[in-house]
Amino acid sequence: MGTSSADVSTPARVATTTARPRAEARWRRPLPWAAGALVVLACLGLQTQLYTGQERTVTTIFMFVALAQAWNIIGGFTGYASFGQVVFFGLGGYTTAVVMYHWQWNFWLALVVSGLLAAAFGALIGLPLLRLKGHYFAIATLGVAEGMREVVTNLPDLTGGGAGISIPTVGPGAPTAYLGNDGFYILFLLLAALAVLSAGLVSRSKFGLALRAINQDEAAAGSMGINTTLAKVAAFTLSGFLVGLVGASYAFQQVTIFPERLFDVDITVLMVVMVVIGGSGTVLGPLLGAVALQYLSEYLRQHYTNLHTFILGAIIIVAVILLPQGVVNYAREAARTRDFSLLRNVRRYRL
Amino acid sequence: MSEGGAAPETPVLDVRGLGRRFGGLQALADVSFTVPRGRTLGIIGPNGAGKSTFINLVTGHIRPTSGRVLIDGRDMTGARPWSVARAGVARTFQIVKPFRGMTVRENVAVGILYGPEGTGIMSHALTAADEVLEQVGLGALADRPPGELTVADARRLELAKALALRPRLLLLDEVMAGLRHREIEPSLALISSLKKQGMTIIAVEHVMKAILAISDEVLVLHRGRVLTSGEPDAVLSDPRVIEAYLGHRYVKRQRAVSRDA
Repeated sequence: MGTSSADVSTPARVATTTARPRAEARWRRPLPWAAGALVVLACLGLQTQLYTGQERTVTTIFMFVALAQAWNIIGGFTGYASFGQVVFFGLGGYTTAVVMYHWQWNFWLALVVSGLLAAAFGALIGLPLLRLKGHYFAIATLGVAEGMREVVTNLPDLTGGGAGISIPTVGPGAPTAYLGNDGFYILFLLLAALAVLSAGLVSRSKFGLALRAINQDEAAAGSMGINTTLAKVAAFTLSGFLVGLVGASYAFQQVTIFPERLFDVDITVLMVVMVVIGGSGTVLGPLLGAVALQYLSEYLRQHYTNLHTFILGAIIIVAVILLPQGVVNYAREAARTRDFSLLRNVRRYRL
Repeated sequence: MSEGGAAPETPVLDVRGLGRRFGGLQALADVSFTVPRGRTLGIIGPNGAGKSTFINLVTGHIRPTSGRVLIDGRDMTGARPWSVARAGVARTFQIVKPFRGMTVRENVAVGILYGPEGTGIMSHALTAADEVLEQVGLGALADRPPGELTVADARRLELAKALALRPRLLLLDEVMAGLRHREIEPSLALISSLKKQGMTIIAVEHVMKAILAISDEVLVLHRGRVLTSGEPDAVLSDPRVIEAYLGHRYVKRQRAVSRDA
């Protein structure tokens, strides 16, 4: 053994035995689960304290938590930055609207079918798309989303075309009665919880390690025995499933939907920004990113009506420059290295 | 390196007429040899001789344009990398490829989880990863992120990741590259101990001292073709090898080594 490494390893080897249980415990920490359950209960308690406008705002926050976390599975863990996840949102929404409008399906059945259809579509387009990397993958997914909007617009008999489609929500013609603000609050809370739970389970699993390995180096991941194609498609499918569920719920909440509203690139961009600012590839990051950004957006909208997108944009730019790896990743690194300087952080992540 | 019928059992690796063409460039052509169980083959050759292409063809990172690859008698020609890995072939990369964002221990656990004996139980994999890390002398650094490792330790992690697959064939792509003189010794000792355990190894290497120390046989690649193969000493003293491949560089290096001494 070289002298330099021998110097390090002799005193450090003593520490190994104490370090080991801690490292393994990382995989079965009960604390995050307990904290998650508490937050869900707290959100249910919070509901009774909110008036209608606030309740809607918080419902939207839940929606973006679910969307950001779903994007995180493919974009964060796996490192495939999709700019077309909104395709699953639109697909889920339109599936629900169409089956409820044309065939009077129950919303809950429509919700599940929408999620499954979005997942199936994810597997189908994932196979060719996930052969692409980086910018090419981003552009291709963007193209798929834009293309799907055109397809939906040009099927007026089924989707109502550009004029949109309205889900029957009242009277005897309604397959499922409108859930109302209280109902949608709980529905989106459950979707957010499901997405965070999925990301949490993925993060700690064998599957999650495979995704992170693929994120770092696909050739190396393959030579470690990971079926990279299968893992990538599975991640894309899971993400599509979650986004599809959210889209279906959003369509029911909005009642009337248009292609421009459901296949809105802004929704994809928000998912990406929330994950990047919060910390991609972490479970906590997208959660914090979605809550912070959506809350901030709403606050600015109420207090600076004319300037709100301008200010929000400026804040996002500053955040991305100072914390390119996201809040959670920055905090972890800073806590480990005891270096909290933002300036040094910018330098470290400079291209 | 056919042993003239000395090995009755199926060779671990059997390549027949293996070749790869990149457009107009024939990177590798008509490479045939077998590696019997428990033997170590050293592959040498100048830059661009096709050494890394050869490893990539065996591991499935590149598909061959001609020839066949048999692993333990099974035809794995053009199989995907994960199939080859699960068939028991592990490799290191010339440019180390640690999985950043995981600890050293988790890096190794990936191979245990997805390797031929793949387990689904994370705690078992992490415990097994610690054993592999002890074996290569990285036990004390298991909790570190790989970005903090020295060059020598990063190479050892690369080896640990390969060993995590419990391979029957280990392909080492320049594991000594970038190491200082005194760092080479522990690496050589490690490879020797793997040999003693009966591991079949193919080592692509630039460091002559390393090749001589570990190889049972040496194969020389030159411009994508097998120039010669045989006993290490015989090959290295072969005038064709010295002239056509090692050339004046090796001679100069030898002179420099003796001057330093």
